[in-house]
Amino acid sequence: MVRVKSRYLLCEINVSDRRDLLKLDDRAVAGSVKAAVARTHGDYGAALCSIRFCVKYLNAHTGIVFLRFHKGCYKLLWSALPFITSIECRGQIIPCFLNCLHVGGTIRTCQKFLIRYNTRQLHQMLPKYKNKEEKRKIQEAILSCSLTGGGNKALEDELESEEEDDE
Amino acid sequence: MSAAKAKMREKKMRNQPASVQYTSSDVESRAENGGEGDDVRVTGGQSDAHPSWKKQQTPPVRHGWVRGHHNGDGGYDTEMPNHITAGAFARARAAEVSAMLKAATELTCSSHVFRALPKHMRRRAMSHNTKRLPRRLRNMANRMREKSLQAGLKKKKELVKSKSRKARRRHGNLLLEFNRRQRKNIWLETHIWHAKRFHMVKKWGYCLGVRPTYKCYRPCYRAMSSHCLLQDLSYYCCIELKGEEDKLLAALTQLTCKEAGPTFAAAMFLSGARQGSVTVYRAGQYPSDPLGPVTFLWRPQTPGLTPRQLWIWAHPALKQDLLPELQSVCQCSEAMAPPVEPEVSRAEADPAPQAEPNPDNELKAGAKRKRCCKDAGEPPAKRILGDGTRLPTSPVTWRSSSTGIVINDLTMEIVRYRLIGPQSHSVLAETLEAATVCDELKSSPFWWPEHCKDRSNMKLHQQQTDVFNVLKGIYSSGELPPGTVLGLTVDDPRLTLPRQKVKAAPCVNQDQGDEEKRNQLMLKGVPLQCCQSFLWEQSVRENVTDNKISEQEMNRMRSELLVPGSRLGPGPQQGRVPVLLVHQPGKQVGDELGSWGSGWDLLLPKGWGMAFWVPLVYRGVRVAGLHMSLKHSQDKAAPHFPHDYPDCPAGSRFQEEQEAEFLETFRRRPPAKRTNYIKHGCLAPFRCPWQQLAEEWELLATDGGAERKGDGQTQKARKSHEVMEEVTSQQTVAAASPPSFTVLRNRKSLRLLSSWCRPLTCRGQRRGRGAAVALPLSDSAVTSFHAAHKMSVVWVRLTLLSKGKPEAHAMVCAPTAEDLKLFGKSPENCGPQEPPHKDHYKSRINHKKKSSKTATPSQVSDDPTASTDPHSPSDLILGLWPDPLPSVASHCSRVTLGWVTQGDFSLSVGRGEALGFVSVSGLLHTLLRQPPELRGTLLLRNPTSLHYRFVRLNIDV
Repeated sequence: MVRVKSRYLLCEINVSDRRDLLKLDDRAVAGSVKAAVARTHGDYGAALCSIRFCVKYLNAHTGIVFLRFHKGCYKLLWSALPFITSIECRGQIIPCFLNCLHVGGTIRTCQKFLIRYNTRQLHQMLPKYKNKEEKRKIQEAILSCSLTGGGNKALEDELESEEEDDE
Repeated sequence: MSAAKAKMREKKMRNQPASVQYTSSDVESRAENGGEGDDVRVTGGQSDAHPSWKKQQTPPVRHGWVRGHHNGDGGYDTEMPNHITAGAFARARAAEVSAMLKAATELTCSSHVFRALPKHMRRRAMSHNTKRLPRRLRNMANRMREKSLQAGLKKKKELVKSKSRKARRRHGNLLLEFNRRQRKNIWLETHIWHAKRFHMVKKWGYCLGVRPTYKCYRPCYRAMSSHCLLQDLSYYCCIELKGEEDKLLAALTQLTCKEAGPTFAAAMFLSGARQGSVTVYRAGQYPSDPLGPVTFLWRPQTPGLTPRQLWIWAHPALKQDLLPELQSVCQCSEAMAPPVEPEVSRAEADPAPQAEPNPDNELKAGAKRKRCCKDAGEPPAKRILGDGTRLPTSPVTWRSSSTGIVINDLTMEIVRYRLIGPQSHSVLAETLEAATVCDELKSSPFWWPEHCKDRSNMKLHQQQTDVFNVLKGIYSSGELPPGTVLGLTVDDPRLTLPRQKVKAAPCVNQDQGDEEKRNQLMLKGVPLQCCQSFLWEQSVRENVTDNKISEQEMNRMRSELLVPGSRLGPGPQQGRVPVLLVHQPGKQVGDELGSWGSGWDLLLPKGWGMAFWVPLVYRGVRVAGLHMSLKHSQDKAAPHFPHDYPDCPAGSRFQEEQEAEFLETFRRRPPAKRTNYIKHGCLAPFRCPWQQLAEEWELLATDGGAERKGDGQTQKARKSHEVMEEVTSQQTVAAASPPSFTVLRNRKSLRLLSSWCRPLTCRGQRRGRGAAVALPLSDSAVTSFHAAHKMSVVWVRLTLLSKGKPEAHAMVCAPTAEDLKLFGKSPENCGPQEPPHKDHYKSRINHKKKSSKTATPSQVSDDPTASTDPHSPSDLILGLWPDPLPSVASHCSRVTLGWVTQGDFSLSVGRGEALGFVSVSGLLHTLLRQPPELRGTLLLRNPTSLHYRFVRLNIDV
């Protein structure tokens, strides 16, 4: 169909101290991305970055961020992301780097990827923990990552099939 | 963003996850908990009621600074463990996953279910049949479907399940349906023929064709001027008056006046040899209160019958005014119940037609079958002939006990077709054939064999046939004396129907003996005894209508012919139809194009409409609707009934309707695309305020008469303007009701005025018809004329001298002296321009718009004060003057004399021609000031233009 096309980057923010993660907010992330682009690509890059760039989603607990770029120039902007070494937020400088996990054409594909990614991580975690208490918690978490409600059995099926594919 | 848009967006984003982050105030508090609080994982996705995470998570106790130990949250551990706790990590992931799941799988409710499916899984007609969807989506789809169905049910009424098309088209059912549809508006007999080919309108209680669906303007004109144009005028109402001649005349003379032309009592008409036309007034009110024009026809006197019979034909818009007036004049108040119960009502009472018990296996012969049905006394669903809207019990006949006059309403009893054009007589001659005599000795139910037994009847029939044969040979229909009547009895025209459409050609045999007869006919008209017809007899009419052979029967008889394709012979049971041919005069007034548009009217008994219509059409005539009858009268320069009779009640009603219609179309346009009539200086673009114009000119003429001597013309115009200002102010103060305006119809005065309007050095003088009698135009003559005709307007014809196409409601203005000087120098000069006017109301409308936009409830209280203003902005329409009009006569730089009611490019003259009325006082006032060689030169300006064009004024008598 006819629409404005974008690329969504699903990135993970890696910090040295987990507590710093909670201090992040979307405006700070956007600012640091812009600064990095300006630094690496100059005014041209900064201008490109002002077209349709925005932070669609940020989870301060897991450090997941969705960045939206214009489709025409996302590669150029993407190339600036490794140069982010810190994010300044509320007067504090948080040392970090961005790790791109997925590039999607729609936000929906990013969401789907994230679901898969997270569940896989949880499944991978499960056998590694020896502590009974923690193991139980993880199991609870795995069980809880599905929508509740009668109409969604099918969705669970879908999810399971996806998981099977992954394994 | 508007509220609706915001709502829409909210709906759309309902399932999308919001960012999970903390505002600065609660970062610290959350940091303490180390992200392990259980409630933290609740994301925006799950919390429909709480759109934002931030709000939800702000603890109510914790604003500002808090001192001392808090038990509730274990608040003082600022240290977060450096290692990762698996539980918190897992929970955070799990919460995110479920949020994302929701976002990725649940739909926004504006879209259909199947949009969740990938394209390759979509199937055709999924929206209609939910079984085409994957099973997991069916539930939701069903729910949505029910919802939408319910919404649809509320809006639409459930359609009544109708019968199948085949059942509906079955003849009996179709007739019932037609009869139902005719209950509101009367259908003419040719309705179905017309409805297939014409744009139909419902007007005056009839369904009438306006114009054909194919292009017809020029072909129709060509037919009118060189061949023949056919119209169905059956909607004209016929009122029959029966009684003693002197009593009838005594009653009818109250309605007319000799000054306006020949009346009902004129000898030529009274004999019955000619059809007359007259304008009818309310009883004894002659110059004022006209009702409208009628045509009338006396029945020729027969030796045996003493009471005379008179038919008055009136337009249906006029009938409701005319009939009560006739009743009061003739003192006919006694309503007589209709003698026979019409069969139609019975047919309608039992809608299921069980009329034909088992006719087909009983009898094969159709003729006998028909009679059999009649014997059984069970009429089938019968075609309505005549007026279907009238209740069967409503009276159509009124009798007077004192004078013995009987008024009979013959609406829809007689079919009337009009043939216009020079060849209409040849069309008639080809279509109609004089009835063949049948000599059968035994008595029969048909009227014709009975009549054939009488020798005198046969003699009359022979004479009429001779006249009709002579008629074939004349060159043009216009050569006959106007209004000639010929009675005739003809064979069924379906018998001689040509196989293909042919164009009727004039008969060219020039016999010496015929030549003499032809001259006789052209000079003297039809001899008096030949004007008699059996159409006048009600019993004969009914007999003819009842005994008409149906189309089906006719076709069956054709199929049984020995030689296929040969003509049916006229047998005894084939109907003989009495008809009346009435000559219709063409253009009678004016100098050019004499007797243009003349023709014949064909009068038939009811029920025979289609039997004559199709044969006429097969003779190559062109059929036209109402639209062309307007053009016909326009080219004849004759006023057309409801349009050009503004002083009649029907005419004023028509004007109101027309104004409402024009205003509606005007308001439908976007304001920026409308013509601003205020800027064009056009006060009343959709109507003509005749009353106001007449009053203003009346005052102007009385005031202006005193000042006339000293002033030049340029000053005059300004003076008149000032006078007008006074006039309007006076009008507002003293609003006494002045006498209403009249249309000048006095023939003598018209002739005088007509001679005054002609330029002296022009050809018109040579004709000298009125010039010899007329007084020269002088002050004294004008004053006396004016005294006789106060407050009157006169019907004029305006011919454009240069290019230009006049439109309806164009203004007729008086030129100034400079204009005339310019015109005298170069007659090709296009004419002066009107300076553009200023629209003072525009700013007010704009202001109102602005105030309404910013209006708050507190401002509404100001509105009552605003509405005290005479032109409150609420009823202002951009581009139109609000209702109390200023002076209409002197609004523009040239004084207005009148308006055009019909104007178009005239194909017969080859120039723009307009018809309209001008004020008599204004016209005299103008004529006095014009140089004699340019007398009668006026200006015309269309409502949408600023350009004046020179026109020549003619008053045709």
